Amino acid sequence: MAASATFRASVSSSPSSSSSSSQLTHLRSPFKAVKFTPLPSPRSKSSFSVSCTIAKDPAVLMAAGSDPALWQRPDSFGRFGKFGGKYVPETLMHALSELESAFYALATDDDFQRELAGILKDYVGRESPLYFAERLTEHYRRGNGEGPLIYLKREDLNHTGAHKINNAVAQALLAKRLGKKRIIAETGAGQHGVATATVCARFGLECIIYMGAQDMERQALNVFRMRLLGAEVRGVHSGTATLKDATSEAIRDWVTNVETTHYILGSVAGPHPYPMMVRDFHAVIGKETRKQALEKWGGKPDVLVACVGGGSNAMGLFHEFVNDTEVRMIGVEAAGFGLDSGKHAATLTKGDVGVLHGAMSYLLQDDDGQIIEPHSISAGLDYPGVGPEHSFFKDMGRAEYYSITDEEALEAFKRVSRLEGIIPALETSHALAYLEKLCPTLADGTRVVLNFSGRGDKDVQTVAKYLEV
Amino acid sequence: MFPKKISNNISVPKKKRKNMLSTKIQIRGQPLHRIPKRNNRVIHSVACGVSTKPLHRESNVLSRMSGPSSGSVPTKSDKSHFLSGDVTGKFGRFGGKFVPETLMSRLIELEDEFHCILSDHEFQEELTIALRDYVGRETPLYFAGRLTEHYKNISRTIGGGPEIYLKREDLSHCGSHKINNALAQAMIARRLGCSRVVAATGAGQHGVATAAACAKLSLDCTVFMGATDIEKQFSNVLSMKLLGAQVKSVEGTFKDASSEAIRYWVENLDSTYNLCGTVVGPHPCPIMVREFQSVIGKETRRQAKQLWGGKPDVLVACLGSGSNALGLFHEFVGDEDVRLVGVEAAGLGLDSGKHSATLAIGHVGVYHGSMSYLMQDDQGQILKPHSVGVGLEYPGVGPEISFLKESGRAEFYTATDQEAIQACMRLSRLEGIIPALETSHALAFLDKLIPTLSDGAKVVVNCSGRGDKDLDTLIQRGMLFPNC
Repeated sequence: MAASATFRASVSSSPSSSSSSSQLTHLRSPFKAVKFTPLPSPRSKSSFSVSCTIAKDPAVLMAAGSDPALWQRPDSFGRFGKFGGKYVPETLMHALSELESAFYALATDDDFQRELAGILKDYVGRESPLYFAERLTEHYRRGNGEGPLIYLKREDLNHTGAHKINNAVAQALLAKRLGKKRIIAETGAGQHGVATATVCARFGLECIIYMGAQDMERQALNVFRMRLLGAEVRGVHSGTATLKDATSEAIRDWVTNVETTHYILGSVAGPHPYPMMVRDFHAVIGKETRKQALEKWGGKPDVLVACVGGGSNAMGLFHEFVNDTEVRMIGVEAAGFGLDSGKHAATLTKGDVGVLHGAMSYLLQDDDGQIIEPHSISAGLDYPGVGPEHSFFKDMGRAEYYSITDEEALEAFKRVSRLEGIIPALETSHALAYLEKLCPTLADGTRVVLNFSGRGDKDVQTVAKYLEV
Repeated sequence: MFPKKISNNISVPKKKRKNMLSTKIQIRGQPLHRIPKRNNRVIHSVACGVSTKPLHRESNVLSRMSGPSSGSVPTKSDKSHFLSGDVTGKFGRFGGKFVPETLMSRLIELEDEFHCILSDHEFQEELTIALRDYVGRETPLYFAGRLTEHYKNISRTIGGGPEIYLKREDLSHCGSHKINNALAQAMIARRLGCSRVVAATGAGQHGVATAAACAKLSLDCTVFMGATDIEKQFSNVLSMKLLGAQVKSVEGTFKDASSEAIRYWVENLDSTYNLCGTVVGPHPCPIMVREFQSVIGKETRRQAKQLWGGKPDVLVACLGSGSNALGLFHEFVGDEDVRLVGVEAAGLGLDSGKHSATLAIGHVGVYHGSMSYLMQDDQGQILKPHSVGVGLEYPGVGPEISFLKESGRAEFYTATDQEAIQACMRLSRLEGIIPALETSHALAFLDKLIPTLSDGAKVVVNCSGRGDKDLDTLIQRGMLFPNC
């Protein structure tokens, strides 16, 4: 528990921090001591919070920031407005800087880009189609024949069945370039774990996956899959033995083995540069969508819809279009048993700002600043935090965030399977469920692109139990 | 054999259908000429509005006009004429139409419709777009670097060694090659005005693919599946139901489910379309399924040219009844320098009596409407097949496969359950791809094949399906891993 407290409280207390060398000195955190001051928030009842003395005054930023093209996403400190940052122990600062420099260097390295593109094409199976969902479109057609046009970005067709592999493959390649032979990752339901184990097998890297002991029981099949792929799966018994505890354990491992080990974070959360890196590796989704939209109808999408757990698939689709202010962006979180039930994962709707796993963002916390255990029928959305960039978009009003209950998601799961013959992941089903509320409000001919982030084979047993199939 | 043609357009009352949106993207195949209502029973061939020259109708079933090419309407070279099957659906002495009289007219109708759609530009375009946007084609031809290294290390070659490529049918929607055929045939069923599609499935892959295609095209779907298979592949059963299909349990395995599907079809001829999942059955099923699967081989030729400027040297595929194998092989049958290798299931061993190696130990006979090799005892009773790869558990094999064997054009070998499981684990560990247990049979054979090949030989293995459906089987077999 102490370790996780460290992450929330942030950062360096070592006197030698100022002398720890780093090529990019402007990235060094100037914090010398732990300081707690309440944020000027009327609602905030948390017993501690961190004041951002190094970032630009958020108020100034927001006033200047009505044009997304002018936003720094992120700025040199890894912040998106007041969100993001690098709230990590000093031992990890160098690794994070190294990672950041490597990432920037490889962004312009033609060999790396070519190799990555080749793997995405031949191994992952990109580009994924932009599929016109005819029967779904018809379902939303109103009495007078008007209605929006629904397109599905088929990330479910990727190798391993979800968008996760885009990031895993790129990070594994990056790790190889950095000369790291050991990969660690955390996983909740196992999807990110499977994606990581997959790429480690492909690249011949040692792979250790941290998974909450409770999750291991619920997802025995995924555990088996990871082992079949050659990974070692380590159970985490601390805390509630779920994702957040597995994440803390993985970070602990990384601190210990940072020289030899690369930590493949699965989502756009965590300390800088992860939110930026993971987003950029998933951005291929949005780039392809722009190209395909142009080919298919000679224009851009009008509305983008995606489910939001940590936020990686949503950022992957949104990022390309952030500067196109006429493109609406909608994220759909998990409302679990309902927003008032206390059993949900609707971070952006019901959360408060704080620091979790190295970044400042919205998160589900109680009055004592303890993390609330989230709930969703879909394990991938079962995360008490959310990527800092999403928090930023929410506050800036660039994206809208709603939530969908377990029941609504199950209905959507059934509906799309029957109408289009594509079984969606339960995570994706949340985005699909939101169409019920969204489509009646859209003008005739509005083009909606929904990120079909994963296939539902993994959820078939769960759903069958609920629907008594 | 063919009835007299009616050459002018037939205008028939179009069936009342929901007002389907037609967009620039998907050209809704409004059928040009509807076949009259079922109980009319008039047999006539359909004018397709393109060309109805007698020459084309009577010629080799596969040589058709090169219409506006969308890449999926092939033109056959005459070289392979003798290997392609003739108009009566015979491949040498194999094939044919051994069916009750009640089915003859339906099969002729089906054949007519099949000829029609081959040169129907709208149909082909709709199919191509659906294969691209719905199924996710084209599937990659992936260079399996670590698998290639593995074999190099075994033989301790310095450099050189054969190169192994995987044709990634596992990336297709629904996880196997089955959807290529299911989608196309479901589109034909819709054209024919059928309201219901029936299918028989072994491992469930064809059932899931059929259910998916029917959901997309708003057709009712009934899938017959053997009770033992239902137990082994339970998540596929759940998937089918979630996709809106009715799943009917049949005592036995795939062969019994097939028989039941045909029985149902015969009883409901008017409204029902029997969607055959593989290259068996009476003509025109074998050539139809092969035609729709042949996109695999066509893409492979193009991709091989792009990747290494040549053709594959060896093609390897697992063999149950032969659909994925023919899908890969067909394009190259006329290229004598390309070796075709099929790998059957030897189950617990050829001597154990528990296997599905039809070509290894079978005899020629008639089964499910066509003449082919099949596993039969001295009394002509069908033997019960076995394999850990449920999709390979079929006591027969497609007639065209039998012909390829007899003519010596293709070679056939076997792999046991154990070898397949080992191969499955090997590919998972080395390439991060968990193959279906069926596919694993083809991969297992590489152990014996690779050492015999020269350096730089290009081997293309049809990775016909992904193995998520087989995890339960692997767990049951008590697979142990060093890192546990």
